[in-house]
Amino acid sequence: MELLIKNGFVYDPINGVNGEKMDIATRDGKIVENVNESKALKIDASGMMVMPGGVDIHCHIAGSEVNTGRLLRPEDHFRDFERKTPKTRSGVGYSVPSTFTTGYRYARMGYTTIMNPSMPPLEAKHTHEELNDTPMLDKATYPLLGDWWFVLEYLKDGKIEECARYVAWMMTTTKGYAIKIVNPGGLEAWGSGRNVSSIDDQVPYFGTTSREIIRGLCKVNKLLNLPHTIHVHTNNLGKPGNYLTALDTMKCVEDLASGDKPAIHITHCQFCAFKGSDWRTIKSGAEEIAKYVNNHSHVTLDTGQVIFTDTTTMTADGPFQYGLHELSGNKWVNHDVETETSSGIVPFRYRRKSYVHAIQWSTGLELALLVRDPWKIFMTTDHPNGGPFIYYPRIIAWFMSRKARETTLKKINPRAESRSLLPSTDRELSFYEIAIMTRAGQANALGLKDKGHLGTGADADIAVYNINPETTDPSKKYRTVRRAFENAAYTIKGGKIVAKNGEILRHVKGATMWLDVQVSEPIKITEEMKRRFREYWTVEYENYPVTENYLEVSHPTTIKADV
Amino acid sequence: MGYVKRKMTIVKAVTCPVCGSLCDDIELTIENGRIVKVKNGCAMCESKFLSHNSEHRVLKPLIRKNGKLVEVSLEEAVKRAAEILAEANYPILYGWSSTSCEATRVGLELAEEVGGVIDNTAVVCHGPSILSIQDIGISSCTLGQIRHRADLVVYWGSNPWSAHPRHIERYTAFSEGRFQRSAWKGYLTKIKASIAKKKIESALRRVFFRRKPSVPPQPRMELPPAMFKEGRKLIVIDVRKTKSAEIADYFMQVEPNKDYELLQAFRALIRDQEIDVDEVAGVPVGYLEEVADLMIRCGFGILFFGVGLTMSKGKLRNIDAALSLVRDLNMRTKFVIMPMRGHFNVAGANTVFTWQTGYPYAVDFSLGYPRYNPGETSVTDVLLRGESEASLIVASDPVANFPRKAAEHLVKNPLIVIDPHMSVTAQMADVVIPSAFVGIEASGTAYRMDHVPLPLKKVVDPPKGVLPDEEILRRILSEVRKLKRKMLVEAA
Amino acid sequence: MINLYPLKEFEFPIIAECINPDIFQDKTREDIEKLKIWEGNRQRKLEELFKVKATKTEDQAEETTITIRGDVSKVRKIGAKMTNGEIVIHGDVGMHLGEEMEGGTITVHGNVGGWAGSMMKGGTIEIHGNVGDYLGAPYRGSSRGMRGGKIIVYGNAGNEAGAYMRKGVIKIYGNTGQFAGLRMHNGTIYVQEDCEGRAGACMTGGKIVVGGFLESVLPTFTIESVKKNVKIEENERVEGPFYLFLGDLTENSKGKLYVLKEKNPHLSHYERLL
Repeated sequence: MELLIKNGFVYDPINGVNGEKMDIATRDGKIVENVNESKALKIDASGMMVMPGGVDIHCHIAGSEVNTGRLLRPEDHFRDFERKTPKTRSGVGYSVPSTFTTGYRYARMGYTTIMNPSMPPLEAKHTHEELNDTPMLDKATYPLLGDWWFVLEYLKDGKIEECARYVAWMMTTTKGYAIKIVNPGGLEAWGSGRNVSSIDDQVPYFGTTSREIIRGLCKVNKLLNLPHTIHVHTNNLGKPGNYLTALDTMKCVEDLASGDKPAIHITHCQFCAFKGSDWRTIKSGAEEIAKYVNNHSHVTLDTGQVIFTDTTTMTADGPFQYGLHELSGNKWVNHDVETETSSGIVPFRYRRKSYVHAIQWSTGLELALLVRDPWKIFMTTDHPNGGPFIYYPRIIAWFMSRKARETTLKKINPRAESRSLLPSTDRELSFYEIAIMTRAGQANALGLKDKGHLGTGADADIAVYNINPETTDPSKKYRTVRRAFENAAYTIKGGKIVAKNGEILRHVKGATMWLDVQVSEPIKITEEMKRRFREYWTVEYENYPVTENYLEVSHPTTIKADV
Repeated sequence: MGYVKRKMTIVKAVTCPVCGSLCDDIELTIENGRIVKVKNGCAMCESKFLSHNSEHRVLKPLIRKNGKLVEVSLEEAVKRAAEILAEANYPILYGWSSTSCEATRVGLELAEEVGGVIDNTAVVCHGPSILSIQDIGISSCTLGQIRHRADLVVYWGSNPWSAHPRHIERYTAFSEGRFQRSAWKGYLTKIKASIAKKKIESALRRVFFRRKPSVPPQPRMELPPAMFKEGRKLIVIDVRKTKSAEIADYFMQVEPNKDYELLQAFRALIRDQEIDVDEVAGVPVGYLEEVADLMIRCGFGILFFGVGLTMSKGKLRNIDAALSLVRDLNMRTKFVIMPMRGHFNVAGANTVFTWQTGYPYAVDFSLGYPRYNPGETSVTDVLLRGESEASLIVASDPVANFPRKAAEHLVKNPLIVIDPHMSVTAQMADVVIPSAFVGIEASGTAYRMDHVPLPLKKVVDPPKGVLPDEEILRRILSEVRKLKRKMLVEAA
Repeated sequence: MINLYPLKEFEFPIIAECINPDIFQDKTREDIEKLKIWEGNRQRKLEELFKVKATKTEDQAEETTITIRGDVSKVRKIGAKMTNGEIVIHGDVGMHLGEEMEGGTITVHGNVGGWAGSMMKGGTIEIHGNVGDYLGAPYRGSSRGMRGGKIIVYGNAGNEAGAYMRKGVIKIYGNTGQFAGLRMHNGTIYVQEDCEGRAGACMTGGKIVVGGFLESVLPTFTIESVKKNVKIEENERVEGPFYLFLGDLTENSKGKLYVLKEKNPHLSHYERLL
C-alpha cells in the first residue's frame, strides 16, 4: 500500500528538516523516496504540519500497577467512557483508561510509539498481555531491575560482568527494552517497611548502596550495548530538598559516560527537583538541575509535568506512595513483589490553589524551558502521575506561549506565583523544538532507529496537524495550537491512516519491541540455578519467562553485548 | 519385539488448575496420553488431574429439542448459541473463573458485541472484597514476600488447611524464607505434645474410671507462651475451631457475625484508644489488647481473609474494616493483607475484565460501553430481579450455587453452557458445548491470588472434536457478527 | 404538566435519564415523545415505552411538573441531575432516582430502589414507601456523598443510608438497615424507628439520631452524656432523653450518635461510665 502526504510543512528534526514544504511518501509501512503518484492514496496536507508520530518515553499504561489503579477507581471512569463503534472497542477513560481507550486516545493525538516504564519481572506476562490489547501503538516496556536480589548480590561482590549476564537474561526473558531503576535500594528496604534517604545509605541486609546500584547498572548497560540508557527514578522522590539527590544521582555516573553519549536518563524530573526543607518552604530546584544538565552531556530528562486535575499516582516507589497516602489521606494500594520490587497507588488531585502543587506545575515548565538543548529533555506527565496524557497539547501550549503560561499563572496560588521562575522566562519553543521534545528526541534517547523521523527507511508513523506554521503565531494563538494537537488531522501508523480529526478509522495492533541481548557466555540454567530460583521466588523457573506466544506482534532487536 | 513399548513422559512445573494458590511445581507422569501419576500436589490437585479422563464426559454438543437434549454438530450448536445471544435484549455471560484469561478476553468481546452483562464468580465470593478495596485501597504483596519476611501470619475466616492445602507450606508459616525460618518444627513439637497429652489424659481416664472432669479451666487473661516465641507466629481467627486453628499458635474464636466489631476494636486499640466495653465479639478486651500489641510489634505481618469474613454479616464492610486495620497498622510497622481467592483463575478473570473495561466484575455493556455497579449490574441481582433474557455460562455451575430464585430465572430463559463437565446447569441448558479442561487439555494463563500470572499447560490432548473454551467462544463471536450483519442488511 | 403512563410491564432495565424536568422544559409533547431511552440493550423512543400526555394547568409552577402513573420499578435514573421542577410518581420506582440531583422536588407514592438521591447536592426527595440500599450514598469507590438537600422516607430504608454524607438531612420514619451514616462527615440522619446496627461506623462528624431500638453500639463509640432532646432541623427537635455517644474512635473522631434511652434498656450499662 502506498501513501503520499502532499505539501505539508514537514518537521523532521533528526534529518534537520525544519518546516519545509515537502511530500512524504510511504510504501508497505515504511517511508520511501517516492511513490507512484497516480496509484498512491493521497493526503492533501497543504497548510498543515507533518511530523513523525509522537513517541512517549515514559507513561504507565499497562501491567499490574496500572490495572490495579483501574480497579481502584470506578469513580474515576464512570463519567468518561467511549462507546463501541463498528470499528472500535468500548472502554472507559480519565486518569487510568482501559487498554483500548488508551490506544485510541494516543492515536488521536498523533502518537504512535509509547514506552511503559515499570514492569515487575515476575508479573511481566501481565504487562505483555495488556500491551497486546493496547491498539494503535508500538510499545515496549522496562523491567524493574534496581532492587532485584541478583543485581544487589552481584554488585555487592563487584561482579559486574556476572551481573550483566543476568541482566541480559532478564531483558530477554521478560521481553523488556531498558533497565529501569526506581528508588534504588529503597524498594528492597520497603519490603520490610523501611527506605533509604540518600544515595549512600546501606540497603538493609544487602551491604550495598544506591550509588553502587546506579553505577553498577550503568556499567552493565554499557557492557550490554543497550540502545537506551539506564532509566532512573531517583531516591527521595517527592520529598522537599530532593534536587540534591537528583544531582547526586546524575553526578555519580559522570565518569562512566563515553564521549557525548548519554549515560543516564532521569525520569519525571519535576518530582525530584524540589528545593526547601519542608512542604512550607518548598521551592523549585529547576535552575540548579538545568544548570547541571546544560553543562554536562551524559544526562537526559523527561519533565513529569503536573496538570491541575484529579489523577491516579502510581509508581514502583512503594515508600513514596505510602508517604503520599499519609499526606493526602486518600485510598492507598501497596503491592510488593518478591525478590524484585514494590509498587503503590494513590489517587491525587493537583489543585491550582495549593502552594505545593502550583510550585510543582511551575517546576516542570521551568525545567523544560531552562534546559537549553531540547534533545536533552522530553515532554511527559509521567502519565498518570502528573496528570493523564490527554493533556499533552496543553503542555505544548505552555511550552510555546508565554501568554498561555501567564494565563495559568494568574490562577494559581499567589505565593507560588510570586516564587515561580516562569515570569522571568521569555523562552517560547518553536514547532521544531516541540517536534524534538515530543518525538525526535525521545526516539533518539531510546535508540529507536526507525522511529521519530521521516527519513527513507523509517517506519511510516506520521502525524499531520491542522495548523499552518506560516500563518499561526503559537505565542498568541496558543489555543489553536492546543486544539490542533488534541486531534491530529491524520494519524498514520505503519503507512495506514488510523485516525482522522479525532475519529478512529481503523483498529490496528501495534508491535511490542524488545531486546534479544546476546552475550558470549549466557548464564546456564543448571539444577543449582533452578534451586536458587525456587528459593528466591515462589514460582518454578520454567514458568517464569515470557514466552514469545505472549507477544501478539513481536519485534525483537538483537543486541550484541560486550560480555 | 513381542511387546508394545509403553510411552511414558514426565512433565514438570505444571500449574495446578484447582484453587487460588496455583501451585506450579506439579509433576505429572503421562502414559499413553493419560495422566497416571501426580507428584507434589495436594489431594484436590491429584483428583483433578487423575479424574479428568475417567469421569463421564459428554463429548458432543447438545441442543434441547422437544424438551430433550440431543446430540448435534458443533456448527449447529454454535449457530444456535449465537442466535440466542444476538437476539436477546439483556443477555448475561457468567463464569470465567475456571477458564483461561485468553478465553475471558474473547468472552468480553462477545459480551460487548451482544450488549450483555458479563460477570465472574467473584460476585458470589470476593466481590465484596473488591468493593471495599475500591473504597479503602489495599496494602498487599506477592506471596514470596510473605515467605521471606512475615513473622506474623493471621488467617481470618479462612481455613487454608482444607481449602488451600499447600498455602501454609508453600507461602506462609511453614515455608522457608530468606529472612524468616519455617515454623514447621515448632508445629511438629506441638503436635507431638498434644498427642502425648491426649494419651496421658486417656490413661488418667482409664485409671480414674469415669470420674467427672474438674471445673472447666477459666479463660486465661494472657496469650499462650507460643505467642512470645522468636520467629514466625500463626494466628487463626474464626467462628469455629477449624483444622487450621488447631495448628495455630493462637486461635481466637469470634462470635458469629461480630467480625466487624472485632476488627473495629482492633483498629481503635492500635490507635491507643480506650474502649468502653469489656468484651467485643465474645473476646475479652484484655486479649484484644495483647494481640493488637503483637500486631504492632511484629516486623512484617500478613492478614489473610476468606469468605468466612466476606460473607458474614456486614459483608463488604467487614473487609472495609480489615483493609483499614492493615492500612492503619502501617503507621506502626509493615503489614499486608490478601484475600484467599477460591477458583484458580478468579483473580485472572478480574484482571482481564479490568484492563478491557476498567471494572473487575459485574460489567454491563447494554448501553454500548462498560458500566459497573454491583447490586445493579451484578448477575445474581439481575437474575433475582428477573431481568435477563438469555444466558451463556462458561466453566461454572450457577444452578447449583446461586440462590434458588436466581437459578429459576436462569433456567426459565434460553441457556447456553460451555463446560467440560455435565454440570447441573448444563443438564438444564438449551445448548451445551463440551470443552477441553483448561490447564490439562488446553493451555492458557491464570493469575494466582496475589496476581502473579502463571502459564497453564496442555499436558494431554482433549477428546477428539472437543475444543478449548477460547476457540468455542471465538466461533460464537464470529457467528454473532455474521448474524448482526444480516440483521442490519434486513433492517435496511 | 406532562403525564407519563408506562405502556407495558417492563421486563428489562430501562435507563431513563431523559425523564427530567430540565430536559422536558420548553419541549412540545411531540419532542418529548422522541426522546431517547434505553430498554435493555436497545435504544428506543420515549413514546415506545410510555404514553405521553400533556395537560394544561393554571399554575405556572406546575407547568414543569412530570407525573408518572404506574409501575416504573425497572426504570432507572429518573430525575438524575435535575436542577428544578417537580416529578411526582404514583407507583414503584427503580434505582438511581434523583441521582446527583441539584434542585427541585421528587415525590414518590410507592417504593424506591437503591441509590435514591445518590450524590445529591440539593432539592428534596420525599418517599412515601420503602427505599432500597445506599440512600444518598456515593457511587462505588467515591467518597463524595450527599452534599446538600433533603430526603424524607416514610417507610423503611436499606443498608448504608447516608454513607459518606457531607451535608443535608435524611429523615427516615421507618426502620433502617445496617451502617446508617457510614463514614459520614457532616449532616443529619434521623431514624424514627429501629436501626439494625453499626450506625455511624467510621463517621468523622455529623449527627445520627435513632428514635427506636438500636441492636448494639459499636465498641468504638464512647458514651458522652444523656441529652434531653436533639435538634434535627431548624424548628424541629425530638424529645429524649437520648444517650449521646461519640465516635468513631477508629477515625479519631467525634461524630454524634444519639440513641433514645427509653427504647434501648440494653445500653443502660453505659450509664455507669458517666
